[in-house]
Amino acid sequence: MDDQACPRCKTTKYRNPSLKLMVNVCGHALCESCVDLLFLKGSGSCPDCNVPLRRSNFRVQLFEDAMVEKEIDIRKRVLKDYNKKEEDFATLREYNDYLEEIETIIFNLTNNIDIVNTNKKIEQYKKENKELITKNKAKAGREELELEEILEIEKQMEDLRRAEILRMEQEAKKAKIREKEALIDELMFAEGDAKDILNTFAQNAVANKQEAEMVPIVPKVTHFSSGVKFTRGASGQQPLPTFEEGPLYKYEAPIIPDRCGPSAPSIQEIVTGGYLQHVRAENEAEKAGGYSSTLPCLRALQDALAGLYHAS
Amino acid sequence: MFSTSSQRKFWTFNDESELAQLREKHNLEFIAKHGAHVDEYQRYNVFLSPEEERLLLKQYELHLKEFCKRFSPPMPKGVVGTAFHYFKRFYLYNSTMDFHPKEILATCVYLSCKVEEFNVSIGQFVANIKGDRDKASDIILNNELLLMQQLNYHLTIHNPFRPVEGFLIDIKTRCSLANPERLRGGIDEFLEKVFLTDGCLLYAPSQIALAAVLHAASKEQENLDSYVTEMLFRDAGPDKLAILIEAVRKIRSLVKMVESPAKERVRIIDKKLDRCRNEENNPDSEIYKRRMREALDEDDLVYTGQTRMSLDTSGVTQVLSPSAS
Repeated sequence: MDDQACPRCKTTKYRNPSLKLMVNVCGHALCESCVDLLFLKGSGSCPDCNVPLRRSNFRVQLFEDAMVEKEIDIRKRVLKDYNKKEEDFATLREYNDYLEEIETIIFNLTNNIDIVNTNKKIEQYKKENKELITKNKAKAGREELELEEILEIEKQMEDLRRAEILRMEQEAKKAKIREKEALIDELMFAEGDAKDILNTFAQNAVANKQEAEMVPIVPKVTHFSSGVKFTRGASGQQPLPTFEEGPLYKYEAPIIPDRCGPSAPSIQEIVTGGYLQHVRAENEAEKAGGYSSTLPCLRALQDALAGLYHAS
Repeated sequence: MFSTSSQRKFWTFNDESELAQLREKHNLEFIAKHGAHVDEYQRYNVFLSPEEERLLLKQYELHLKEFCKRFSPPMPKGVVGTAFHYFKRFYLYNSTMDFHPKEILATCVYLSCKVEEFNVSIGQFVANIKGDRDKASDIILNNELLLMQQLNYHLTIHNPFRPVEGFLIDIKTRCSLANPERLRGGIDEFLEKVFLTDGCLLYAPSQIALAAVLHAASKEQENLDSYVTEMLFRDAGPDKLAILIEAVRKIRSLVKMVESPAKERVRIIDKKLDRCRNEENNPDSEIYKRRMREALDEDDLVYTGQTRMSLDTSGVTQVLSPSAS
């Protein structure tokens, strides 16, 4: 670690123990003070390879080899799009090929081999699998949430257990003190043999200890009584329940009740038969409102004819 | 459509004797309930006979017509027709001695304005009534629910006015009659008279409309018989035609027999009614006022929530309108 040095200002860990090396997407390291100096404006180019960089993308170098950092960056980026799962492939062979392809791409990008073509390949893949990518992304998000939840529950359980142990220890301490006092009192005032008293107290103590160990740890409630887990808000993490679909709707013509009279002309006949000449025609404003004189005319005729056959 | 309506199912009767039976029934019921102390031979000296009730109602139907003419802007004909229907239907199952016709009359018109969408507020409505207007609005609003209950909530009325328009359109289109518009005077006059008869309780609105058109035509020395037989009933059997001819004949004879009852006679009946009417439903009587007060108190009690009293739902007259409380 001591030979770590900033490539720009040549400061080493030895000379400046608080030296922090930072890396960006290109994989070239810079020390913190150089980053402050060079990227005052927020963006600039890498002094080693002239790749344009942003200051916000700098992070502390974790691995000794800066190339590993670069690879991590690239892998992260590539896997964002190449997020197919084993279930998405028909055979294991295909899946393995796919994984190998990913590794090739990452390797190429990391080692600057055929970058133009590789990028083109990624773009094309993105275009072809747009839907699947977004779907898998959502799924991954969901899985992450679930994982977080489990972790949280574990943490809660841990806290609970620790508190319980603490409480029990304190209680045991108190009980011991009480026992001691009782024993001394007994020895002071009792008439019996001191050895017998000591024996009975020792037996009692053993029995008490066993009893105390029986106390169970009550886990904190993390479920509703209906079995549904507590979650952060009702964000609809549960999949929608599926319904059995009934038979398809089939149209049936409505039953026209007996009009009890001669049948009225149809709308067609009203329009062609000259009925409309004897009805007040709708004006422009009424037409705009959706009124047409055909229906009122039809209604009058229907009302006139319905019930003519009515017999008492 | 009339053929599937409650009007045809529940309110169109077979013949006049059925109507007379219904009217006699409630008359007898009223007398049995309130006249147990009266001698059998004396009872029509105290109470109204069915025939007297009939005459009284005829007089009040004339009043109803006059009352509707008082409105400005004038009421559409449909509102008047619907009010007539309500009035006739109400007194098929109720006695004039139980509910005074002048109160029911105004209520019928008020309800009909609502149903036929002729918008009149209660304030504007009572402006057309002579006398104490606050009292009148109280009476109308108190009776409105009772009226609807007695009508069995069958509020849709099929009036003969639209069928008349239909026939006129049809005649203009399919018939060679010269200037059918001149029939209108005769038709309107005929329909006005029809509502003074029991015609609308016996026949379909289209039959009444056709009778009106045929009557008006014969008054103009025209004959539309061929239109009926060759156009309307071309595809129907002769039995159906016979039924229609009989119906039209009957409606026309009903209208011909319309005459206003003798004024002197009606005045006597009116006086008699004042003496024998059911005081529980008379807004001027002490019994009525006391009952209203009780109903009001009961309302108050329910509102304050101190006691849970069961509201008497058997007497609809106890239901109070907001303006009465």
